[in-house]
Formats: sequence, structure tokens, C-alpha cells
Amino acid sequence: MTHSFALRDLIDDRPEDGVFRVNRTLFRDPDLFALEMKHVFEGGWVFVGLATQAENPNDYFTGFIGRVPIIVSRDGTGALRCFVNACPHKGVRLIQKLCGNASRHVCPYHSWTFDSAGANRNIKWQKAGRYGAGFDAENHDLAQVARFGEYRGFLFASLNPDVPSLEEHLGEARKLLDLVVDKSPEGVELVPGRVTFTYAANWKMQLENCSDQYHFTSTHPSYIRILDQRAREQASDVVQSSIAAADFWQEDAGGVTGGTMSFDHGHVLNWGVMPVAPSAPEFEHAETWAALHGTAKRNWMFNMRNLTIFPNLQIAENASSQMRVIRPIAHNLTEMQTWCIAPRGESAAARSFRIRQYEDFFNPTGMATPDDTVCYEEAQAGMAEQERPWLQGHARGLTASVMGGNGYADMIDLKPARSVLADAQLCDESLFGSYYRAWAARMAEVVA
Amino acid sequence: MSALGTAEAAALLYREALLLDRMAFDGWLDLYTADCLFWMPAWRDDGTQTDDPERELSLIYYRGRRNLEDRVQRIRSGFSVASAVMPRVSHMIGNVLAEAVDEATMRVDSAFIVHVQDLRSSRTHAYFGRYEHELRREGGDWKIAQKIIRLMNDVVPTMLDVYGI
Repeated sequence: MTHSFALRDLIDDRPEDGVFRVNRTLFRDPDLFALEMKHVFEGGWVFVGLATQAENPNDYFTGFIGRVPIIVSRDGTGALRCFVNACPHKGVRLIQKLCGNASRHVCPYHSWTFDSAGANRNIKWQKAGRYGAGFDAENHDLAQVARFGEYRGFLFASLNPDVPSLEEHLGEARKLLDLVVDKSPEGVELVPGRVTFTYAANWKMQLENCSDQYHFTSTHPSYIRILDQRAREQASDVVQSSIAAADFWQEDAGGVTGGTMSFDHGHVLNWGVMPVAPSAPEFEHAETWAALHGTAKRNWMFNMRNLTIFPNLQIAENASSQMRVIRPIAHNLTEMQTWCIAPRGESAAARSFRIRQYEDFFNPTGMATPDDTVCYEEAQAGMAEQERPWLQGHARGLTASVMGGNGYADMIDLKPARSVLADAQLCDESLFGSYYRAWAARMAEVVA
Repeated sequence: MSALGTAEAAALLYREALLLDRMAFDGWLDLYTADCLFWMPAWRDDGTQTDDPERELSLIYYRGRRNLEDRVQRIRSGFSVASAVMPRVSHMIGNVLAEAVDEATMRVDSAFIVHVQDLRSSRTHAYFGRYEHELRREGGDWKIAQKIIRLMNDVVPTMLDVYGI
């Protein structure tokens, strides 16, 4: 470490004075980034994947927790496991593929062999190896991650054993995952086809953008114009969009159009009222869902909802439905792994509609995301400023934010820590405070 | 008038490349049939690409030139920061294999590299992969009825638009 950090220099959190500010250092400092990797990503719960990504015995997929390569594997008995993707012998990454099926994994370097439960099944020429007692006393299995858990198909892991239970970590945000999963009695799945992109800016730009209602009409006017045009034409040969039918982002929409909620441990929701209308790919289920879950929950299932499960999972349900995983690479480089997440068993027409809307809106090859990621990079450039290091981007909504929920939350018995009810122009930024308080809690050991 | 020879089919691909290099989008759109397929599949895993656009995700999937017109409109709108400083691009096409399906239809396989100089970020990248064109004779002209772009380096650095493939 070249220097240490004081929390007051990074986050100016003085609710009694009506102040919440974030310092540019959080976005630009490589030393701070190294600490974030250790304490935020390798020091607590992170999302690692969906159970459906390893559906059958011996299915596996690979990924990362912070900088550490991992394998999520369904063992021969059908139980999901998560271990470090590194051979104990020389540290070689055991599996190079993104996903596959194998009951045995043989290290490519010296042929140490492991089963799908991570147990060592063979050390090549062990008897002839003249090992000492120290080696024999060691555990030669793959290292299991300290904590691993599932909530309704969403898999989370922690390299640090000293964390609250997954249930406590997710807290009330579990009810928001329910809104995603309950769209089908069979749960959700990832549509085949993963899309990965990078951007040259800090991971927290993506963290914030998902919950940033303020940017939509400023960053995406070129896309909004096309939506308007398509809605007017209703031609059969253009891609249709459900977001054009909603008014949560329209400047002249009156009354409550949505709002934000924040939860303990850094999870936040940005939501907007969306009509239960044929413009939604799920309209075919409107009656069934109302019968199964009640009208209030059904209506919430149709609402625009951008959910972050801190620090690396985002589920955006608006024009379509996206699952994003944030993977920080450097203080100024982030990799995004993205999928279309969809209810299992939906009709062919609904699935196709969902996919078409997804591609135009969410892909880095589409018409909206590029305008976001370019803004992240432009922000990263501006993070160099030292004279006025405090950003002014976390202040909207401060005086609208209340403890607890509101009438909309009550409809589905949801109990956020804080909430804001908004008209189309309020565009709360105070919810970001939840990210930074959770960040500070995970960094408490090194940033005091 | 019979099907095109390999050289003439390749020339149509080169003309498309030149129009994109020059950002001459009107001429580029003119090369396409009204009902064209413009499709860049995604990768399912390490080795296979998605092949059913109705049930699997694509990077880009459009049926109808009208959608390409939307893309051009956005690029030119003045309201897209990703299109504010246009990158400089240079397409290279090789390994062209053309085959006549019938008198009015050609299938053309080729390899491509598009070098991109992103002025805004001062970065250079190359996108590479294979094209599968279907050319169709409409009246006296040959048009592009289908362009499938099989992108090999699919970890997209920030953004990728129609002129970069």
C-alpha cells in the first residue's frame, strides 16, 4: 500500500446537514481499487450465477469472485458446489471452458484429477513420489469457497467465512427476486447467447447507472425518438417496444410515476409504473398471475424494475429483461457479462418479442447501451479533477427520502430501509447512498 | 442475365465495404433489399453460436431494411453521444467464395477484418469474423438480401455499431 484512506475523505455522509457526497477518488484510485477487490468482492457475498446454468449432474460453469477464478459445479448427486478453479498442486486453472459437463476434471499441467464435487481422485505417481509427512497431511481437494448459498435459483458465494447468512444478506430484497422468479411456475432461465463487453471506467459507474432514472431522457434521446417513431408506425417489419407505452420517463407525466427503494447491505430498486397492457411481452399471463399472486403483486411484476443486489448483480426489467454481472478488472476497466433472463415456458411469441426488444436496448451493439458506456468513459476522464473532488451526483431526492416504505411497497408487504415516491422529474439519486454505505461497511477494516 | 461470377459477387461486397468506410449510409442502405436479413448471432458458449433468432439471443437481428434505416437515423441524429465523434473504419474482405443458388440468387462466403480508430477514446481495435451474404437480383440490380456477420472477437470494447462490422 502506498497510502491509507480515511472514510471522511471518500464519502461525505452527514444526513443532519442534508449532505451526501462521493469523492472522485473512489473512481480513479488504483490502490483503493485493490482494496475493493479484497474487501468488497472477495470479502463478502457476491452473485456467481443461476442454478439453471448447471442444470444436470456434473454440469459446471466457470467465473470469478473478485480476482479469484471459480467453478460452480453440480456434483454426481445433484448438489451444487462452488470451489476455486485452481489446482492445489501448482495453482493452474483447472477448467478453461465457460461451461460444460464432466464427472472428472484433470489438471492440464500434471494430471491431478478431481471429481465434480471437487474431491481429489488422483495424484499422478503419488506412491513413487517420495513425499514427506507434511504433504500427506495436506488437503489435496479443490478449495471450497467459504460460503455458498442459493435463493430461488440465484447462487451467491463468499470467500470470507465471516459474513451474515445469505438470507440476512438479501433481506427484503428477496421479495424483489421473487417478482422475477414468480413469472413462471418453473422459474427463470437464461436465454442462450451471452454477451460480454468492457468499458474503460470504474465499476461503480455501472452500479449507479442501473438505478439512475435521471439519465434516461438525456442519454438516450436518439433511441427514444426511434421508439416514438415505431410506436406511431406500428409497422409489422419494425422492432416493437413496450417501454414506449409507459410514461414513467415522460416529462409531462403527472402524479406518482415510480420511485426508489433502498435496502440493508446495499441493495436498491429503481422502479416505474408500467401498464398491464399488450405492449408487455408478459401480457399473456396477466390473468394467470393475478389469480396466482393477487392483483397487487401481478401489477408489480409488470412494473419497470431495475434491481441491484450489491455489489455485482443487476436485473433490469423494463424494455425487456436483463441479468448483468459486473466484473471489475481495474480501477478504470470493467467487464460486463449480460444475458436475457426470461420466465421458463413462456410462449414462442412472447420469447421472440422479449429477445427483439432486448437486442436493441441492452446490447453493446444496440441503440441504447453504447450511449451509457460512452458516458461512463467520459465520466472516468473527468474523475481526474482534483480541485473540486466531490461529485454533485448523489444529491437529488435527499429531502424526499423517508425511512421505511410507502403505499406501493405495502401492496406487496415490502419493507425497504428507505424509499422515495417520485413524479417523472424527481429522479432520485439519494438511493445511491445505500451503495456507498454498504461499500463502507465492507471496507471498514481498511477505510476508517 | 445469369448468376454473377465470383469476381462480380466479390465486387458487390467490396462496394458495401467502401460505402461503410466512407460512412455513405444512403448508398449503403440502397444495397439492401426491403425485406433483407441483417443478423449478427451471439456466442452460446466457447464454441457455438446461437442459430435460432426466435429463441436465442443475437448481437443484432433485423428483418427488414427499415430497421437499418433506424440505425442510420440514430447515428446521424446528433443525440447519440456514442455517435458524436465518429470512429474511422477500414473494412478488409478476403477469402471470397461465391456460389449460384439459382439465376437470381448468389451465396457468398467471405472473411472480414474491420479496423476501427476510435478518436474519442484514442483507441484502435479490430473486429474480425466471417460474412455470409445472400445476393438477389431485383430488376436489373443485384442487392443484398441477407448479411450474416459471424463475429469472432465478441467481447465488445464499449460499443459496436453497424459500420464497424
